[in-house]
Amino acid sequence: MSMNARDMPDRRDGAFKREPALRVFAAELRECRYQFREGEDEKSPTFVLLPTGERSNRIFLVGTLTEKQRQGEQNIFYRGRVVDPTGTFFIMAGSYQPEAMQQLAKVETPAFVAVIGKPSLYQKPDGGFTVTVRVESITVVDKETREIWTLDTAARTLGRLDALPTGSSPDIVKAKEQYPTVDSAVYRKMAYDALAQIKM
Amino acid sequence: MDYSETAERISRKFSQKGSEVDPKKIETRLRRLVEEFGVQPSEAERSVTNELAKEFNVPALGSGGGAKGTGGTEEKKIGDAVPGEWVTIEGKVVSVSTSASPSIAQSGVIADESGAIRFVAWAKSNAPPMAVDSWYRIESAVVDEYKGVSSLKIHSGTSVKDISAEERPLIPQTAPIKDLHPGIGSIRAKVVQEWDASHERMLQSGLLGDETGTIKFVIWKEPGKERLEIGAAYAIYYAQVDEFNGRLSLNLNTAIIMQEETDIPVSGGETSVRGAIVHIAPGSGIIKRCPVEGCNRALSRQNYCPVHEIQPNFHYDLRIKGWLDDGEKTHNILLQREAVESLTGISLEAAKEIAENNPLGMDEVFLRMRDAVLGRYFICKGREIDNRLLATACERVRFESGEHATLLNRAGGAA
Repeated sequence: MSMNARDMPDRRDGAFKREPALRVFAAELRECRYQFREGEDEKSPTFVLLPTGERSNRIFLVGTLTEKQRQGEQNIFYRGRVVDPTGTFFIMAGSYQPEAMQQLAKVETPAFVAVIGKPSLYQKPDGGFTVTVRVESITVVDKETREIWTLDTAARTLGRLDALPTGSSPDIVKAKEQYPTVDSAVYRKMAYDALAQIKM
Repeated sequence: MDYSETAERISRKFSQKGSEVDPKKIETRLRRLVEEFGVQPSEAERSVTNELAKEFNVPALGSGGGAKGTGGTEEKKIGDAVPGEWVTIEGKVVSVSTSASPSIAQSGVIADESGAIRFVAWAKSNAPPMAVDSWYRIESAVVDEYKGVSSLKIHSGTSVKDISAEERPLIPQTAPIKDLHPGIGSIRAKVVQEWDASHERMLQSGLLGDETGTIKFVIWKEPGKERLEIGAAYAIYYAQVDEFNGRLSLNLNTAIIMQEETDIPVSGGETSVRGAIVHIAPGSGIIKRCPVEGCNRALSRQNYCPVHEIQPNFHYDLRIKGWLDDGEKTHNILLQREAVESLTGISLEAAKEIAENNPLGMDEVFLRMRDAVLGRYFICKGREIDNRLLATACERVRFESGEHATLLNRAGGAA
């Protein structure tokens, strides 16, 4: 695994570079099967590789929080489901993120929420995979914000799809290796369907 | 070894200065040094030249040989002077500054058509004090370099001659801001921002901009120095360009500043970022600021200013520090009071009210502001400095059906 300039945290005069929050639809995030770590350090960031060819350490999503549940006895944590036009995001916030957990605890379902969080990939006992988003923050927003997010996410997804056939970035190369059966027409249709659900 | 050639050369130099020295006499001295004392020929040449210069009371001519191995110092344009060289230049003194150190008699800036350079006259040089606006011929000075900035050192072997008699016009050449490099620079620029003074000796600091970019400037308090007017355009000649941590800034204390009639468009610095606010950092919301004039630092919860200690008569201010994320890059943003008020709908007065009457105090303001802006889309406009966008105006992004239609076409068109 090579380090490229983008991933080197730039610490010079405190100019720390924060990982951007990618825009991804639930239907794409659900298909992730490959997760990797950049560098050997304990604190090195973990990335989930999106099928459309970009690594993601953080995502920004807006949707409807339809369910939330408190779980655990000693270690309390909350799980929730956030629905976008294409599917469902599984979010969680535990006692390691007390702020986020309290924010999530406060939200009454259903509500439009904006979530900033870190995706990670888990393999279930039956061999299947789930992608869970560990919440960094969650706030209640309005419907317009969800619609703007849908436009934004469709635009970013289409941008990734456009770069996929000819792109040569390490992420695209790795995505072609890891997801050999990806059909970009499927994701294009996903974006179209998401946009089509917005009523004028 | 033949000494006659060297002797001729030295003799010629002195005759140029109006002192006739017999080459034979020079030759004898050279021979003595080399043959009796085992001195290197180039060193002997330098030594004899200096000796004779003292005898004839001629200002030193520089080494005839010495380390350079060339005859005398080269006459150069200021713009061509390279660190490490001995040079002779002619230029106009455009500014002088008082020196803090007793070992420096005078320092300032000297310029010709090709450029300008800082000069330092050592006290030991016994050089005559130079006057602003006069022309001088400076012979055998050394070009030195410190932290990438060249300067001209006037030492005991340098001769300084007033040549103001021959009138010469000098029109300074200004450069685009993006082409400035450490040293002395002249620009035409507009004052685009004024910042809170961070030091009590500071008269003014802020940002200057032209078509090509922006640069930080500072004016230190000194008699006769005036503040620049925000929004006004200036021709700034011979400012000192400093470099710190890879960023340039202009010290205007040495500069000649003239206000211009015409406006200067500033395009480079203003940026606009559209994205979602993904984080609001601690220290956002309502804050207390130090009331000491020119300080304005944010106080701790205990009203402690890092410089002026406990300040119970603080004043309140609003700000938001956070991250605005466009999906590809996260921009560090700093919103000032007006932008915070329009973004959150909470005025400074309302925030004060909340902070003083709520059990959570200032935290309550932070929480309300966070809930009002986090996860929403905004377009923030301002200047990006040190990777931070100082946003002066922010507006909510609205849903646009035109954008929607374009994206539908884009997604459906290729399906």
